[in-house]
Amino acid sequence: MDVSNLSIREINSLFTKKELKPSELYSKVFENAANSEAALHAHLTLFEEENIKKAAESDKRFSSGKSASLLDGIPIAIKDNINIKNYKTTCSSKMLSNYTSPYDATVIEKLKEQNTLFTGKTNLDEFAMGSSTENSAFGLTKNPWNTDYVPGGSSGGSAASVGARSSIAALGSDTGGSIRQPASFCGLVGFKPTYGTVSRFGLVAFASSLDQIGPITKTVDDSRIIFSSISGEDNRDATSVINNQLDIPSDNTATIGVIKELMEDGISDEAKNEVNKVVEILKSKGYKVKEISIPIIKLSISIYYLIAPAECSANLARFDGVRYGLRVDGKTSYEMMENTRAEGFGAEVKRRILLGTYALSAGYYDEYYGKALQARKEMIDEFAKTFKDVDYLISPTTPTQAFKSGEKTSNPLEMYMSDLCTIPANLAGLPAISIPTGLSKDKLPLGVQIMSKPLSDNPLLDFSEIIEKEVQFDGQPKGWL
Amino acid sequence: MSLKPTIGIETHIELNTNTKMFCRCAVVDTDEPNISLCPTCIGLPGALPVPNKKAIQFITLLALSTGCEITSKGMFHRKNYFYPDLPKNYQISQFDLPVGLNGELEIVIDENKDYIQIERVHMEEDTGKSSHSGSGRIESATSTALDFNRSGVPLVEIVTKPVISSSKQAVAYIEELRQLSIDLNISEGRLEKGNLRFDANISVAPEDSTELGTKVEIKNMNSLRSLERAIDYEIQRQTKALEEGVEIVQETRHWDENKEITSTMRSKEGSADYRYFSDPDLPNMFLSEEFIKGVETLMPLLPKAQREELMTTGLSLSQSNILSKSEEWIKKLYVKIFDQTKDSVASYNWITGELQGQMRKANIEVLPEWFNEDYLSEIIELIKSDKISFTSAKIILTEILTTDTTPSKVAEQKNLFQENDSEKISEMISQIIKENKDIVERIKSGEDKLVGFLVGQLMKQSNGSVNPGMAKELLLKELED
Amino acid sequence: MSNEFNIKNIAKLASINLSKEEQDSLSNDLSIILEHVNALSDLKLHAQQQEIFIHPLEKELELQEDEVKKSLTHDEAISNAPESKDGKFVVPPSME
Ligand SMILES: [Zn+2]
Repeated sequence: MDVSNLSIREINSLFTKKELKPSELYSKVFENAANSEAALHAHLTLFEEENIKKAAESDKRFSSGKSASLLDGIPIAIKDNINIKNYKTTCSSKMLSNYTSPYDATVIEKLKEQNTLFTGKTNLDEFAMGSSTENSAFGLTKNPWNTDYVPGGSSGGSAASVGARSSIAALGSDTGGSIRQPASFCGLVGFKPTYGTVSRFGLVAFASSLDQIGPITKTVDDSRIIFSSISGEDNRDATSVINNQLDIPSDNTATIGVIKELMEDGISDEAKNEVNKVVEILKSKGYKVKEISIPIIKLSISIYYLIAPAECSANLARFDGVRYGLRVDGKTSYEMMENTRAEGFGAEVKRRILLGTYALSAGYYDEYYGKALQARKEMIDEFAKTFKDVDYLISPTTPTQAFKSGEKTSNPLEMYMSDLCTIPANLAGLPAISIPTGLSKDKLPLGVQIMSKPLSDNPLLDFSEIIEKEVQFDGQPKGWL
Repeated sequence: MSLKPTIGIETHIELNTNTKMFCRCAVVDTDEPNISLCPTCIGLPGALPVPNKKAIQFITLLALSTGCEITSKGMFHRKNYFYPDLPKNYQISQFDLPVGLNGELEIVIDENKDYIQIERVHMEEDTGKSSHSGSGRIESATSTALDFNRSGVPLVEIVTKPVISSSKQAVAYIEELRQLSIDLNISEGRLEKGNLRFDANISVAPEDSTELGTKVEIKNMNSLRSLERAIDYEIQRQTKALEEGVEIVQETRHWDENKEITSTMRSKEGSADYRYFSDPDLPNMFLSEEFIKGVETLMPLLPKAQREELMTTGLSLSQSNILSKSEEWIKKLYVKIFDQTKDSVASYNWITGELQGQMRKANIEVLPEWFNEDYLSEIIELIKSDKISFTSAKIILTEILTTDTTPSKVAEQKNLFQENDSEKISEMISQIIKENKDIVERIKSGEDKLVGFLVGQLMKQSNGSVNPGMAKELLLKELED
Repeated sequence: MSNEFNIKNIAKLASINLSKEEQDSLSNDLSIILEHVNALSDLKLHAQQQEIFIHPLEKELELQEDEVKKSLTHDEAISNAPESKDGKFVVPPSME
């Protein structure tokens, strides 16, 4: 038995029974990182010294029976767009390569209260803009299942870290699929909670109305534990909501909808097969399954690529070389800001800032951004209607298995298309989860996505756990332990 | 060609809340730079805005007091422009759904009332402060230093319709607005501290034209003197240009306090496109009926109503206006003294003239604690009953402002009670005539004005205790004989 | 929808000093993306602009009490400054 393969509850049970010490687990996890980092580059920074100290404190709490938290001594990797006080927060951008945060994100405060260990900060697409972690200013991250392939993105470092067991779980952020897609590519569970249930305070904003922090884990239960630890209304985030969970059934009295538009052209047969496989299992267990149609889903990419860039064009305006971060000199403040932003941002970030700037500019607002807002509202309404008929929606998480590094870098639009299945949940604020269900013929993981109505995160996790149990995906990338 | 100017004024009022608009940093009044900051007000990555309830109450109060319609379903927008003292490089402001719309403010010029239409009242946040170093002039600055203490301080912007036609009206409008904000207790109203700052949009067009002329904006003035002079200068400049057939350029100009001219501000290219869009960090703001009712309970007696009340005591409109714009204790003192004396003119003159004048001269800011307000009534009564002269009354006031004593004691000690006994006065006159035979001769030969000299001598010898009117009358009689 | 845009003007608004090569390649990328998002123009929409909620769950804004909370120290606030002097952030001259 390798302890780094265990779930959080299993580990906690060993800690409590004093059969395993947090410091032993941490050594193992750190050893895994040491073995895999050179090949995968999941982390931008690994924290070691402070963790040895913190693990020793956890050891004491467990040996004296004083630990009250399931996450005590659990090493969790943190995406490097989430602020931890006195550590760098780079967002994988040259812009912030020297930036040290003077404050903790709310999720970090919450995890610190639980005595969690932070293994380090993980690589991402610069400012979370991308689907492959190839847009990092600090080098690519590789897929632990096959290093020729991307781990997905933008939380690719977090997924690769958990995949290689360099951490027990990880936090990512999801704006258009950035948790679910890399989780799917790396054979893991990725959960994007209902918009607002987890505070965004301290998460470096990409698109504020879409961003949400969530876990990437080996099991659904691990995601549940982390979600319950980091969620809750926060008076520092005006968009955060009280986590009042709805009571909807997860047993076979529930009705499942298969989204027609996400089972059509552009979705690989392999991806569809995974959905069909799960549908058969559910039917055999007595669930009612029906095909539903939400035509506006076909416009997801168009809506998303107006709203997200528009918001990001303002959110990233603060990176100007004045108060922190990179500065490239100029004769005037304005030249300095223009030069700093020219050098500090990578191509994809510039592309989206310019796209958003254009979409908001005088004379174009109505036909672009204004229209996208209306279409988004329409999508929210359509989902609300759909959830009167069904409890859960099922689809592939991604149109295909992981793609090869470099395969889509030259065509931004093709890269954007890989987010087709995941974007609708962000636009509508829905909870959505990706669970691994099988392997492709290339021996790469595939997953399915389940969505449910806002504030039904807990039932969604319960339902997903039922599928997880039935599917019995026990895949694990080889060679890192 | 007869030309008419049209002016609209945008005023920024700094609210006197404890904390900033979108974070709970203290609003501070200090020269010590950058001491009241948090991640939000310096735009650190990951920070989010949370709105200040007091500020929203204050702006609602201002909107209600100017008769605006309240936008119960409002929101905040981002106004995007790059400037080093704007930390996020966007300002959180309001766009098409401001808190208040379509109001009106009564102003007073001399003995006339006038009404200035208000277009909108909206909420926004202040910027940091830039100081330019180098030779002291902006044009040749070598660097700019930034203090962000002011960044995020709540600002209300109140915009008039283009209905103002003279600098006099503009000044009266600002005076009224300033007093209103002080009476509402939403601002200190201190112009020298920049609590109110104004921009004026000025255009000139032919008298009979239905269209406005090309508009020129003069930015960022904070004294009534600048406002008045800048408007006068700009009307003159534009009038001259139109008369000479020179085209007026739509631009932003700056009022040069020293040169007393307006000059073109060097404008950043393409800065006019603010790309307003709703701030995704701040959900829609609903002002409930209950909220508005709560704000209404804070409504004080407005300057307009104060004037009406004062006029019922017998004061003129302009006197009432001056009193309504005086400090609170002056207003109260007037009411009290009027109640006691029933003489509005004497009460008004003694308070706004003699009392305030002497206090200013002697650098007394608050009345000394021994100073019983009834003393003023006493003084007024003494004059009215001819017991003391006006001159003596002034001496008494000076004395009781600096020494712990009472009017009657001072009159007693200084022998200021007027001699009203004609026999006694006649005796003194005989004496004076004896001592000034040469003067008497000159008067008799036609130098009438020397009568005053003799009266003066009489006053001097009697320590001013003689009733001067009576004295003169008796003296003339004596000389005729 | 119209897809003409002036990349230089957009870059100016976004305060990014683009090289000639970047201007060309980004222009090209943007055209392709805008071509795609034009799909929206065919959509018949029912939602009115004023009905639009900023929050996907239609949450309303909550206002916070006006009570001071301590946050960053002066040193923390200024610690990341590329340049500072006498407690102030320093930048090349900004003129109006
Ligand atoms: Zn602050």
